[in-house]
Amino acid sequence: MGVVLAIAALVPTGALVFLAYRMLRTAWPAIKFNGWEFFTTKTFTLGNLYSTAGSTAPPGAHYGVLTLLVGTAISSGLALLFALPVAVGGALVLAEKVPARLQDALGVFLELLAGIPSVIFGLWGIYALGPFLSRTVYPAIASLHIPWLSGPVGAGQGLLTGSLVLAVMIIPIIATITRDLIRSVSPATREAAHALGLTPLEGVRVVVFPFIRTGVVAAALLGLARAIGETIAILIISGNALNIYPGNIYSPFSTMAGTIAAFLDGALTDSTGLAVSALAEVGIVLLLLTVLTNAAGRWIAHRLGGGVGLPVGRGA
Amino acid sequence: MKRYLLPALLVAGALLISGCQNNSTSSSASTPAAAATGNPSSAVTLQESGSSLLYPFLQELVQPLKQQYPNITLNPAAGGSGKGISDAISGTVQLGGSDAYLSPGQLQQNQGLMNIPVAISAQAVNYNLPGVTGLKLSGDVLAQIYQGKITKWNDAAIAAINPGVKLPATTIVPVRRVDSSGDTFLFTSYLSATNPSWQSGPGMGTTVTWPAAAGELTASGNPGMVQTCQSTPGCIAYVGISAEKSAQDAKLGEAQLQNKDGKFVQLGPDTINAAVQAGATGIPANLAQSLINEPGATSYPIVNYEYLVVKQQQSSSDTADAVRTFLSWTMSTTGGNQAKYLDTQGFVPLPAAVRQAAMSSVATLAG
Repeated sequence: MGVVLAIAALVPTGALVFLAYRMLRTAWPAIKFNGWEFFTTKTFTLGNLYSTAGSTAPPGAHYGVLTLLVGTAISSGLALLFALPVAVGGALVLAEKVPARLQDALGVFLELLAGIPSVIFGLWGIYALGPFLSRTVYPAIASLHIPWLSGPVGAGQGLLTGSLVLAVMIIPIIATITRDLIRSVSPATREAAHALGLTPLEGVRVVVFPFIRTGVVAAALLGLARAIGETIAILIISGNALNIYPGNIYSPFSTMAGTIAAFLDGALTDSTGLAVSALAEVGIVLLLLTVLTNAAGRWIAHRLGGGVGLPVGRGA
Repeated sequence: MKRYLLPALLVAGALLISGCQNNSTSSSASTPAAAATGNPSSAVTLQESGSSLLYPFLQELVQPLKQQYPNITLNPAAGGSGKGISDAISGTVQLGGSDAYLSPGQLQQNQGLMNIPVAISAQAVNYNLPGVTGLKLSGDVLAQIYQGKITKWNDAAIAAINPGVKLPATTIVPVRRVDSSGDTFLFTSYLSATNPSWQSGPGMGTTVTWPAAAGELTASGNPGMVQTCQSTPGCIAYVGISAEKSAQDAKLGEAQLQNKDGKFVQLGPDTINAAVQAGATGIPANLAQSLINEPGATSYPIVNYEYLVVKQQQSSSDTADAVRTFLSWTMSTTGGNQAKYLDTQGFVPLPAAVRQAAMSSVATLAG
């Protein structure tokens, strides 16, 4: 019995190690082909897949992850920027102001939002949100002539729309953790603040925030990890623009996850196999980034003292 | 005894499961090609994936095929030509639908992989400009649009080839395919043939590195292209002919394209057949032939064979019979290449010489 349990306990670690090992093996030809240039060049092109006869690499193939890293970083960063105030503010309102009867019902809605598949967000973004914003809100913002917020507004597939969709996806993660954290503040401390004459807002600032600060950072990092790894919604809404840095906030962009998904079928037709290797190399960079972000989130939460359970396995 | 019950059950279960995997009936020696076509002796399901341009045609054929040969069930799917080719290579499907012929590298890498033409199709360029009809476009202008060099509909280059047409000052929104697409292959082949900077830059393929054109949109599949163009004023999109009916229903205009002889031609069976007559001569043994930008005053420039990519060696003799029968029936003028199936998609039948060459390739299928 102990043996079976031991095996079961080792399966997740074993799966991760096996996954990383196989990815590394698949990516090895591309790693040798690219060298360190992979991290310094902004061009990512599969080359001419129709003239690969007899060669080890498609003519014109050049792989660089720089623009993908920038696209991932900017879109996830913006998503967190939009999501954090909304999530923390919403959680505060939910925990403090909403009557107790409604709190559970609204909490259920929040958790339901976390469970909605990403592809639905992508479809909503491309058919509803994107066109609406690009016709009404974006031209209004662009007319203010603020640098990086002005210029051609595109047609809805771009950085701002993508970040907004990502933000909606990560708000539930941050909000549910924050709400649990706020609830865990001892009522005695809060009542003491009330007794001392602090207004509710001051009470939140003086009592609640210092207590939950570290936990909110951990929750934000978990949300960030989800945004970094988001694939299908990005594939639909980002515009998949290659080899450019976003010129303004409406510009289309590419992320690592979106590029792998968009190019995989084409890469599989490459008879040299180098295209799939290159995508696997992008995948390894993505894997490292997600693992690091997740690890940072959990380490901070552990430092807090393990006071709150973290959601495991949210999102895709 | 109880200690070992659970592990023993697990081991037994694992053995049972692994034992159940080996139930495919594969003949021990490859049967010499008897070129038998007819209802196979047992029920076979043929999986297909790939080209969204070919997909509606195959959907049409499912029922007639079943009536003719009850033991063959065709299961078509879409996903893009690149997916069709890679699925056929990996053996996930028996038939890979593709608008693009196999590249020399793919043929070299996969001995025994064949692309069998089953019909002739074409591609249109649609635009969303209410009130503008009869727009003429050339490959050179299209390449510049997709490179981001031409950004307004009333640009001088477009006005020069459209004398007398009132062009609005709307921004052009180019739409392209994000999936690995045979339509992308056809469109980029046309652009490569007509614009040197496109040929040396992105080139042609089912997946290319598209230049960054301002405001460009991406869509998945031909229906996605029509849908996106419909909801975006000023858009321009390349759409396979089998989706043209839905493009017309969506009130999208269809451009006349400039062919090799410099004439602007409208998409239709006559102009497609003109291109076929000029180009479909001397098809190579591997059946990989391009019909893009063929000469002729009335030739339409974006015409292609619709291919089904198959492996010469199939998993069983019944599967080989089914694939051979299906391909022969689809290509024959009394089977799939009848007007009633081709016309609704805008396809035209294969020329007799091409059909003959394809049949001899089909005869080599074995299982």
